[in-house]
Amino acid sequence: MILDSIGVGLMGSTTPVFDIALQYCRELYSSVAVSSVYGRPGMKLSPTLAAFTNGVATHSMDFDDTWHPATHPSGAVLPALLAASQMLPPSTKPNGLDFLLAFNVGLEVQGRLMHFSTEAHNIPKRFHPPSVVGTMGSAAATAKLLSLSMTQCAHALGIAASLAGAPMANAATQAKPLHIGNATRLGFEAALLAARGMEANPVILDDIPGCSGFSAFYSVYQPKPLSTPSDHHEFLLEKQDIAFKRFPAHLGMHWVVDAALSVRNLFINYAGSFSPSLIRTIVLKIPVSKYINRPFPSSEHQARHSFQFNACTALLDGEVGLSSFTESSIHRQELRELLDKVVVEHPEDNVANFDKMYGEVALLLHSGDVLTGKCDTFYGHWRKPLSRESLLKKFRSNASHVLPEEKVETIITMVDNLENMSDSSQLACSL
Amino acid sequence: MLAKTVTGNFANVIHGLNANHLTDQVIQRSKRMILDTLGVGLLGTSTEVYHKVKQYSKIYSSDISSTIWGHLDFRLPPLYAAFVNGVAVHSMDFDDTWHPATHPSGAVLPAVIALSEAFPQKKKISGLDLLLAFNVGIEVQGRLLRFSNEARNIPKRFHPPTVVGTIGSAAACAKLLALDRVKCKNTLAIAASYAGAPLANAATQTKPLHIGNAAKHGLEAACLASQDLQGNKQILDMESGMGAFYTDYSPQSLPTLQSYAWLLDQQDVAIKRFPAHLGTHWVADAASSVRRKLVESSDNLLPLDKIEKVIVKVPEVKYVNRPNPNSEHEARHSFQFVACSALLDGSMSVQSFASENIQRPALRELLCKTQLQHPADNKPSFESLYCEVTVGLQDGNTISDRCDTFYGHWRKPLKKEDLEKKFQSNASEVLPAEATEGIIETVYNLEKVKDCSILSMFLSGQSARALSEKLRLL
Repeated sequence: MILDSIGVGLMGSTTPVFDIALQYCRELYSSVAVSSVYGRPGMKLSPTLAAFTNGVATHSMDFDDTWHPATHPSGAVLPALLAASQMLPPSTKPNGLDFLLAFNVGLEVQGRLMHFSTEAHNIPKRFHPPSVVGTMGSAAATAKLLSLSMTQCAHALGIAASLAGAPMANAATQAKPLHIGNATRLGFEAALLAARGMEANPVILDDIPGCSGFSAFYSVYQPKPLSTPSDHHEFLLEKQDIAFKRFPAHLGMHWVVDAALSVRNLFINYAGSFSPSLIRTIVLKIPVSKYINRPFPSSEHQARHSFQFNACTALLDGEVGLSSFTESSIHRQELRELLDKVVVEHPEDNVANFDKMYGEVALLLHSGDVLTGKCDTFYGHWRKPLSRESLLKKFRSNASHVLPEEKVETIITMVDNLENMSDSSQLACSL
Repeated sequence: MLAKTVTGNFANVIHGLNANHLTDQVIQRSKRMILDTLGVGLLGTSTEVYHKVKQYSKIYSSDISSTIWGHLDFRLPPLYAAFVNGVAVHSMDFDDTWHPATHPSGAVLPAVIALSEAFPQKKKISGLDLLLAFNVGIEVQGRLLRFSNEARNIPKRFHPPTVVGTIGSAAACAKLLALDRVKCKNTLAIAASYAGAPLANAATQTKPLHIGNAAKHGLEAACLASQDLQGNKQILDMESGMGAFYTDYSPQSLPTLQSYAWLLDQQDVAIKRFPAHLGTHWVADAASSVRRKLVESSDNLLPLDKIEKVIVKVPEVKYVNRPNPNSEHEARHSFQFVACSALLDGSMSVQSFASENIQRPALRELLCKTQLQHPADNKPSFESLYCEVTVGLQDGNTISDRCDTFYGHWRKPLKKEDLEKKFQSNASEVLPAEATEGIIETVYNLEKVKDCSILSMFLSGQSARALSEKLRLL
């Protein structure tokens, strides 16, 4: 997860949204610049702003990891930890194991919070989960790394709750990456404020009828205590793995793309080559989710959140990758023609849930024949995880956009040996 | 120019409003709000929460900097100046309140003042620019509050300043930055992603951060939009946009710019006489009045030991129902505490919340005898609530009084002298007399001030004598 997150962040440092965030941070702040910025060796920012900027980079292309229940866990936690590790004085630098522990505390808190609401199991509609649980996870992770007392940890969570929560409507826009940027930054700020003695509501996670705490973000909320760690704590990550994306688009797209690729092969066998003129209608069977149902996306952000766009791109090109989302790719004539043929169906059994959904693409040909492709589990999903080679290939492809080969390999080696590092801030310094 | 969406309409109005639209009443009311907010903020620099936040913010510094109210010794980048000054304003819950419920000025004023100092030397921001931006920020908040019936009552889920305050600050800053319509829309969209803090942090030390963050994040949203960051252009229209913060949400377009009808013209704010939740102001007036009656009928002494019970009739508001408050933050959010405090002392003041007063035995004893009742006709709305205090004596007699409208409420606004008295009392805790006089004069003549940096200079307590001279020359 750490390797993928770094790679995706490095790749993201080439995006316009990243440029804006960076420009903004640099103009306003110059002091206490100790934390590294992805893809800008030599440039430093103040810790929380470095976290912000790197968080924006991580989510800028919707290429970062996704969990179940749904959120983007690593982007909300890693940038804050990297920045914090560089902030600490040489005598108290966290080692690799400390770093790994803090990272996992951040993930665990996110996962546990999502289990407090049945709403959270499905693809979100109201608040964007990283902005809700991600902020809390970042607060918990940085509180852990900074070795805050138990009381301070509680207050960090309380302060973070008042910084959480962004509406879904900014998904599929340029502002969405800010959700992860702010989650990691504001959670970090909450921990810093708690470290300085700021106090908040000590029962922020509990259900207080008539005066909402963290429950404000859900219509159904049933908090449960964790078992206090004795010798053995069962981390959610143990039971529930992560999905890694193979191309930079919303997770839901990955099912329709694999389904489209499968039917494309059938079609090529049938017709000798991919001939769009033979296709009368393209039927997509997808779950109901408004913000990823876009028949004619006009920006890259919209394209990354469009079942129709991703299915047609896969049909046309035989793959979906970084270059699928450039301006020229989005607006090409052949693609538009295919998009015109798409109709969407929402079978009742196709639930808007990353553990249960499927994608089906049917080509209804003028000849009357019908070819179908279906995908229950795409390659990269937790049920069919990326192999080590595939993960490394993705990382190398991303990181080499902005870093020279030696640096790319150094990062791989460091992350591979993270638990043996004596000074984990070296990881941040190498970016 | 007709916009098809509410969001677009808001952007058009934010962009299109100009100084000619401001009415006299709006200007007058604004000035009162501005003066009160500054005073409350200056006083707030003496609080613990302020101190922590100041220490924290000092880790950020840069070349561009803005004034920290009450401080000559350091400055901060505009964003953190807005944050710190915003926290100061709400640190004691002493700032203004509106209907529907929110604290409008604290979310906006610190941001626009901080931003006004961030322009390059040659660009001067006038008092009128500041007044206009301020009012855009207030207006947007009021309009948003009217998009939901939920908002008419005292809140339960999200703390309103963090929802509408953030958007208001964003709109005000977009106005001051003179952003075009498209950027105004994006400002609103970006700000929405920062909005919304749960109510549970009310009555804790974190609550003041709600206003600080509203100011800061609104400013940040405007800055990001000015750098061309884009968001959802229908953020105010969608249920998954601003609608996320409400269970019932019905956005509407704003009045036409032809002759703009400001909400502040129709609905004034309430200014607090003591630093506590607005609901407690009814309690204080009712309790003080009961005390007067008690004292009159007992040889001018308060018969404390003869009091058997104190019944306080208020609407049901969970986060202000605290029988046993221990911290100042809890005490400011306790109907019971204010009832007993006002009964003991005859009136409430800043001092009522000092820890020695919170803990005094006579008060704790009276608290034990106090209970709340929630009559069905007492609605949790600042427009219609009332308070009735009844003291039951050992001999069976009861003395009662009721307050429907406390002095300072919009139905019974503070007189000019009393508003000024509050300001002086607050501001003089941290500023010299010339500076406090300078601020009063500047705010009262705000629409004529050519360069509002003079306000900032007074706020920092800078060599006030020289500045007073400067002011006279305006």
